[in-house]
Amino acid sequence: MAENGGAPPRGAAEASSPTSAGAVADGGGGGAALDDLANHRFICCVCLDLIYKPVVLACGHISCFWCVHKAMHGVQESHCALCRKPYIHFPSICQLLHQLLLNLEPAAYKRREKEVLEEEKRLKVYSPQFVDRLISKETHSANGNCKDTFGARSSTAAKEPSATEHDLVDDASFPLSKRVSTDDVLKKVSVDDVLCSICKALLYRPAVLNCGHVYCENCLLSLIGEELKCQICQSPHPGGFPNVCLYLDNFLEETFPVEYASRKEKVKLKKIQYHQGDSSSSAEPAKKQESKPFQFSNIWLNENAANIHAGVGCDSCGVYPIIGKRYKCEDCKEAIGFDLCEECYKSCSNLPGRFNQQHTQDHKFVLDDSRTFQRILWLARGAGDHLQVVEEGEHLVHVDLELEAPEYLEPRPESDGDDDDGTRQDRSGSL
Amino acid sequence: MLDVSRVQKELAECNRDQAISGVGIALCDGGSDLSHLTGTISGPVATPYEGGTFRIDIRLPGGYPFEPPKMQFITKVWHPNISSQNGAICLDILKDQWSPALTLKTALLSVQALLSSPEPDDPQDAVVAQQYLRDHQTFIATARYWTETFAKRISVDIEEKVQKLVEMGFPEDLVRSTLKSVNGDENMALEKLCSS
Repeated sequence: MAENGGAPPRGAAEASSPTSAGAVADGGGGGAALDDLANHRFICCVCLDLIYKPVVLACGHISCFWCVHKAMHGVQESHCALCRKPYIHFPSICQLLHQLLLNLEPAAYKRREKEVLEEEKRLKVYSPQFVDRLISKETHSANGNCKDTFGARSSTAAKEPSATEHDLVDDASFPLSKRVSTDDVLKKVSVDDVLCSICKALLYRPAVLNCGHVYCENCLLSLIGEELKCQICQSPHPGGFPNVCLYLDNFLEETFPVEYASRKEKVKLKKIQYHQGDSSSSAEPAKKQESKPFQFSNIWLNENAANIHAGVGCDSCGVYPIIGKRYKCEDCKEAIGFDLCEECYKSCSNLPGRFNQQHTQDHKFVLDDSRTFQRILWLARGAGDHLQVVEEGEHLVHVDLELEAPEYLEPRPESDGDDDDGTRQDRSGSL
Repeated sequence: MLDVSRVQKELAECNRDQAISGVGIALCDGGSDLSHLTGTISGPVATPYEGGTFRIDIRLPGGYPFEPPKMQFITKVWHPNISSQNGAICLDILKDQWSPALTLKTALLSVQALLSSPEPDDPQDAVVAQQYLRDHQTFIATARYWTETFAKRISVDIEEKVQKLVEMGFPEDLVRSTLKSVNGDENMALEKLCSS
């Protein structure tokens, strides 16, 4: 990205557009450490850095892929770090936001990419790898739809994800300032980058599904017949109706005020027509209530509790932990493994793994119950006091087993999350 | 593994507006270990803790920020939810209600808020809680006395004491750690320094 003209033109642009310049830069007093970021709104609440590989939870809050994953609970429902709303599905990365952040903050985003990749190499677990494209203003019109399909994820056949490494541009000299006018933002993104794939217009009140695809709230509402399903990848959306992602919504309103206002008007008009035509039934709110927020807490009390696979998630729908039957891939060699929940196994899901596993459809699955509670408790009893509760591949998770079974398990050793394969106790040996 | 860059960002962020927020964080004893910090909070106004500066020992577990920081008062304080013996704090966000979106600053602010609104029904120190409920006047008086005795003296003239002892020829970091271990008592510190 070389269109940054330096300080004088930016200052001029700021003065000429006083309406939104202040709003975009309202985080100016934010943090010295964050000063190199122009858009303070896309700061991850967990790592306090620019969000990298954004994941949007059903409550509408955004975090980094790893920040969400590390914060998830391995044996029970997880809670949003910001609003504490419970959820059990680890959503896929939102590619639209990923691309948007890459275009908005190319230097900082590449820096994050480098840092995260180094950490991933150290831990030998990888997040999904994309082939990134920096979209410049010139190619915008030609390259309208920037929503990458997940093909990119599976097409990187190399075991070590080096595809993105070589195009790391050295942006150290990239001049960034604290204050950025809307004009500058407009140089980096256009309306074409943020379209809803149902109405093909600028996203208005965007909501993100579990698969990471973004739609207008209204377009999603119009879809609800029996089950909420993504129109792009056909993945069902588990859990409740997603909340509007307000970070993205505010960004759109400030960046594209004219387009956003016209979208707002149209939706309003539609609603009025809708109500005039059929004033007796208020179908819209009813639809919203239909999909109740996911209730999970009571599961612990019934017999399913024994069938929770501690620290094992489904690579298709993202449910974490898996409850019920767990199908484990026998052929995937990655330490983190490839697992499916019963539902995804039956639906023959062929989505690629969530941690860049090189899983293919001809791999074989086996039923695996080695991580169920029943078994862990039984093992713990058999092995006496010295059983270490250890992770199988997924050594990044935080499993607070002592809470659930204080009488059998020793408190987990002070784990710093990067135990190597060597330190793991051979569970079959302790039988 | 501790997220070093996050902790560094937190320290910078917290100490920028220390004068306004009344909470600050520094590395413990001027060391270089980012997992061992010392927080300071000023006593909230219109409470028996007003005017005091309270020091809190902060230890960050390897899983931070996905696990809560371990906080404990170094300064002795008379409060139903803080142990008068060892300074342990009874606060939900430091236990099961922790969220990785919270920071050391927000946690310290919560502790500061706890000072102004005690929860005697969920006590850490049963003796203090009993007194708080049954004899509120005595509680206020005791809390104020403790603030005067432990939270003011030390913080106000600790630098003077350090300077005095350093002038006697003791190394500064040893002076500081010794003073800390005897709760700021200059004579005891001198005794200890001479005998060591």
